[in-house]
Amino acid sequence: MKHSRKTVLALGVAASAIALTTAIAGTDAGSTPSITPKAMADALHLVMDSDRTIYTRKIVNRLVKKDKVIKASEHFEDDKALVLPAQMFRFGSELVAKRAEDMPDVNFSYSLQSLWPVNKQNAPKTEAEKAGLKYVADNKGQNYYTEETLGGKKYFTAVYADTGVAPVCVSCHNEHKDSPRRDFKLGDVMGGVVIRIPLDG
Amino acid sequence: MPAAPRPAILLCALAASVTAAADPGVYPQLRGAGLGEGRSVWIANCEGCHGYGVAGAPVPMKPADWRERLAKGKSVLYAHAINGFFGPDDTLMPERGGNPELSDAQVRAAVDYMTALAVYYIQQER
Repeated sequence: MKHSRKTVLALGVAASAIALTTAIAGTDAGSTPSITPKAMADALHLVMDSDRTIYTRKIVNRLVKKDKVIKASEHFEDDKALVLPAQMFRFGSELVAKRAEDMPDVNFSYSLQSLWPVNKQNAPKTEAEKAGLKYVADNKGQNYYTEETLGGKKYFTAVYADTGVAPVCVSCHNEHKDSPRRDFKLGDVMGGVVIRIPLDG
Repeated sequence: MPAAPRPAILLCALAASVTAAADPGVYPQLRGAGLGEGRSVWIANCEGCHGYGVAGAPVPMKPADWRERLAKGKSVLYAHAINGFFGPDDTLMPERGGNPELSDAQVRAAVDYMTALAVYYIQQER
């Protein structure tokens, strides 16, 4: 599965997150919107995670597990099946990156990475990514926030744990021929969502 | 996905602990028949989700998650844990917590510990 690590989030989602966060803070988003990078990252992750959760529950759990009318498969085209929730997330990030090419003001990124990636493209590249993925795996229930400088530009980087929530997540990673780790169990942190926001204008 | 924040009551009581997985000692050893084994089974197989609310799993340290569930009775909870269960929002409890090697008795022991833990925190709240 093709995956661009550096993806860019669509303006619509960003605007929703800003509106959400400023609404919480009681700020008039139409005049002087104000949001910290951490609040922005948290809001974006809330949107991403909620969408993925609903897909998992209302589509995969309901149609595959409960009603048993269709399968979900990594090889969804050959199998005429639903895409897996993690694939849904990646496809969304790829479409966002493509659509954002025409939107120069939208310049922050997100990606799904792992210290034990099935696809090596999804391994961490920067020291902040590596530290963040290790932190969320070692400190379950906590997020990781830091700043890093890449190519002379300063970024706020947040990492959120990505947990194996269904038996299929665990079995796929444990049994996949390219998986570097095969002892996952349900509820384990299997990777993380990395959100990066530029701090220099 | 981010796990739900740990309940304040647990964080206050066990401020030094960072993760339950790294330090299972954060979960009290409760007195009762089979609760020792149940605690071990629960930590090894259930805590990964139920300790954090992953995928909508009810957290025993959160009384609001458990009052209605406890009222269903042990037999219903045993059946849900052994056979699997779909919640009203299409949440999924996998059969035997996703570990097919667990026996019925082990699953029941884990349920016994989790419900005892829920009662413990409900009592702490009062």
